[in-house]
Amino acid sequence: MSSRRSSFRRREKPAFERFKDHCRHFTAFMFSNVGIILLVTFYTIGGAFVFQAIEIFENEKLKIIKPHRFIERNFSGDCLNRIWELTAENISFFDRHAYRKRYVNDVLLEYQRAVVKKQLRGPDVDHQWSFSGAFLYSLTVITTIGYGNITPTSDWGKLVTILYAIIGMPLFLLYLSNIGDVLAKSFKWIYSKVCLCRICPGVAKRRIIRERRKLRQLARALQMHQMENARGGSSSSYTSNSHSTSNSSNSSSSSDYTKSSLQTSSVLDVPYTDSDSDIEREIRGSTDEITVPLTVCVFVMVSYILSGAILFGRWEDWNYLDGSYFCFISLSSIGFGDLVPGDRVITADKDKVEVSFILCAVYLLLGMALIAMCFNLMQEQVIHNMRAIKRGFKACFRCRSS
Amino acid sequence: MSHKFQRNSPQMLGVASTVSSTTSNQPRKRVKRCCRNFVTFMCTQVGVGALIVVYAIFGALTFMHIEREFVDTTTAHVLELRQNFSQRLWNITEEHNLIDKPLWVNETNAVLREYQAEIAAIIKNGYVGRSPAEMWSFPAALMFCLSVITMIGYGNMVPRTPWGKGFTVIYATFGIPLYILYFLNMGRVLARSFKFMYRSLHDCTQERNYDARLEALENGVGSGSLGALTLRKKIIVPSTACLWVIIFYVLTGTIMFANWEKWSFLNSFYFCMTSLCKIGFGDFVPGASLTTSADVDAATQKLREDISADGNEVSELQRITDQHSKLAINFIYMLLGMGLVAMCRNLMREEVRVKVKEMKEDTKLCVEDTRLRFVGCCGDPRDLYENDYY
Repeated sequence: MSSRRSSFRRREKPAFERFKDHCRHFTAFMFSNVGIILLVTFYTIGGAFVFQAIEIFENEKLKIIKPHRFIERNFSGDCLNRIWELTAENISFFDRHAYRKRYVNDVLLEYQRAVVKKQLRGPDVDHQWSFSGAFLYSLTVITTIGYGNITPTSDWGKLVTILYAIIGMPLFLLYLSNIGDVLAKSFKWIYSKVCLCRICPGVAKRRIIRERRKLRQLARALQMHQMENARGGSSSSYTSNSHSTSNSSNSSSSSDYTKSSLQTSSVLDVPYTDSDSDIEREIRGSTDEITVPLTVCVFVMVSYILSGAILFGRWEDWNYLDGSYFCFISLSSIGFGDLVPGDRVITADKDKVEVSFILCAVYLLLGMALIAMCFNLMQEQVIHNMRAIKRGFKACFRCRSS
Repeated sequence: MSHKFQRNSPQMLGVASTVSSTTSNQPRKRVKRCCRNFVTFMCTQVGVGALIVVYAIFGALTFMHIEREFVDTTTAHVLELRQNFSQRLWNITEEHNLIDKPLWVNETNAVLREYQAEIAAIIKNGYVGRSPAEMWSFPAALMFCLSVITMIGYGNMVPRTPWGKGFTVIYATFGIPLYILYFLNMGRVLARSFKFMYRSLHDCTQERNYDARLEALENGVGSGSLGALTLRKKIIVPSTACLWVIIFYVLTGTIMFANWEKWSFLNSFYFCMTSLCKIGFGDFVPGASLTTSADVDAATQKLREDISADGNEVSELQRITDQHSKLAINFIYMLLGMGLVAMCRNLMREEVRVKVKEMKEDTKLCVEDTRLRFVGCCGDPRDLYENDYY
C-alpha cells in the first residue's frame, strides 16, 4: 500500500516543479562545457557565413556602381607599349648602355612598384572570402588574434566586424574560463593520480603513515622543547632587568608554543584512531589541496607549442623555428600575420573545406584553453608559494625580535 | 573559565609587546617601512607604467640592433634581376631590330611575364621594397614593441632574422605578464578615482536631498535616515557612465586619427575599435603607409629636374612620411586606452555582480510567490498525502 502510494506521489510531482527542473537542467547544460563549445563553434560558423555574404555582396554592388575600378589595369601591357615607343623613338642614336641604364631601367622599376603594390593588396575578394577563409577570419576576431591577412574592405563589413567582436569576445572569454577551469581540475586529478601514485592505495597509505610518523616525532621534540623553554622563560622573566619587553616577548613565544602544542596534541591523538577508512578519506580530501608545480605547467605549454611546430612544419613546409614562432605568436594572441597557415586555405575552392584548416582552428581553440588552464594552475601555485614565503618572513622576524 | 583566561592573556600581552617594540627598535622598523613603501610604489601605477615604458624602450633598441644587422640580400637580388632583364630586352631588340613588331612584342611580353613571376616570389618571401634600416627607425620599433606586449600585433613590421624571432618570443614571455600587471593596476586605480569622482558629483547634485535627510535626522526620525545614509555609501557607478567614457574616448581617437592620417571616419573608428579590442588586423596602421623616404627623394628629384611637376606632391609625401613624432602620441593613446578599458571592466564587473545578486533574489521571490499562488489555487498535494500518511 505504502509503496504504491509513494510511486503515485513520484508521478504526481507538480508540473511546475518539473518545468523548473527542466529549466534548471537546460541552463546548466547551456552553461556547461559542451554547451559553450557548441555556442562558440556555431557563433564562428554563423560569423563566417555573414562575413562571406556581406563581402561578396558588397563587392558585386561596387562592381555594378563603379565598374572602372575593377577593370584590371594591364601593367605589363602598359610597360610593353612604353618600351616599344622608347625603342622606336631612339633606336637610331643610342648605344646599348645608355638604353639599358637610363630608360628601360626606369620603366622596369615602375613596373616593379606596381607589381609590389598589387601583390601587397592581396588576392581579389572572391578568392579571399572562401568559406574557410571567412571562418578563420571570424575565429581570429573573437580570439583577438587578428592575423590581418584577410580584412573586410566594405563599410558594412567593418561595422559588422566591430559588433561581432563586441559580442564575441566576452563569449570567448567565458569559454576560456569555463574550459580552463575544467581542464585544470581534470589535469590536477590526473596529476594526483598518476604522478604522485595516488592511484595505487599501498603507496599512498605508506606515504601517509610515514608522514604521520614524522609528524609525531616532531611533535614530541616540540613538546620537550616547549617544556624546557617554559621553564627557562619563567626564570628569565624573574631575572631580566628590562622587565616589560622580555616578558612580553617570551610570553608571545610561549603563546605560540601553546598553540602548536594544541596542534601537536591533536596530531598525537590521531594515530590511535588510525584506520583504513580514515586514511582513504585523507587521500580523497587532499586531492583538492595539491598544487601542480610550475615546471609541469611550463613543460605542458612548451610541449604543446613544439608539437604545433612539428605539425605546421609538416603542413606548410616551414622550418621548426618558424613553426614554433607562429604557434607562440598565435597562442599569445599577438597574431602578426606574417606566417599564416592559410596559403592553402585561401587559395582553396570556394566551397571546399580543407581538413588542415579545421585542424588549425581546433589547435587554436584547444591551445588557448590549455594556456588558460596552465595560468590557472600557475596562479594557484604562485599564491601558495607567496603565502609560504610570507609565513617564512613572519617567522623570521619574530625569531629575531624574541 | 580560568583556563581560557590563561590562554588569552599571553596573546594580549603579545599585542602589548608589538606596541612596545614600535618604540623600542626604531631603525629596523624604519628600514622595513622604507622597503614596504618602495615595494608599494613600484607596484602602483606609476612604477609599473615607468617599468613598461623602460621595457618598451629597451626592446625597441634591441630590436633595432638585431634587425638592422640583417643583410638584406633581396634588395641586391632585385637590382641584379632588373639589370639582367633589361639586358635581355636589349638582346631582343638587337636581334629583331624593330622590323617585325609582333614578334618583338611577343618576346618582350614573355620576358616581362617572367620578371613579374620572379618579383612575386620575392615579395612572398617578405620583400616590401624598403631596407631594414629604413623600416626599423626608433619610433617604429617602439610601436612594434608595444604591439607585442599588448598582444595587439599589427603585423605591418615583423622580425625577419631568426634571432629577431627568438627574441620576440622571449620578449613577449616577459612583457605580457608585465603588461597584465599594468592593466590590472591601472584598472583598479582608474576605477577608484572614477568612482570617487562620480560619487562627489553625485553628492553635489543630491546636496539638497542630503540636507533634508540631515534635518530628518535632527528631527529624530532615526531609522529611515540611517538607512538612507548607508544606502548613500553603496553608490555603484552605472555601466552607462562607463560606456559613455569609452565611447567618448573612442570618438576622440577617431577624430584624431582621421585628421592625421586622412582616413575616413569609419576607417578611423574601425582602427580604434580593433586596436582597443586587441585584435589588430594591421590593415590600417598609423604612420606606416606605403610611401617611404625613397618616394619622397624621387619626387624631390623629379621636382628639381622638371619644373612643371607639382610641388604640393612633395610636401604631401613629406607630411605623410614625417609622422614619427605622432607615433609617440599614438603610444600614449594606446596605453591610456587599455587602462580605460580595464577600468570599465572593473566597474562593470562590480555592477554586474550586484545586478546578478539582485536578479537572483528577485527570481527566488517570484518563484516562491508563484508557488504559493499555485498552492493556494490547487491545494498542496504533498500536504494532503502527508496528512493521509499519518
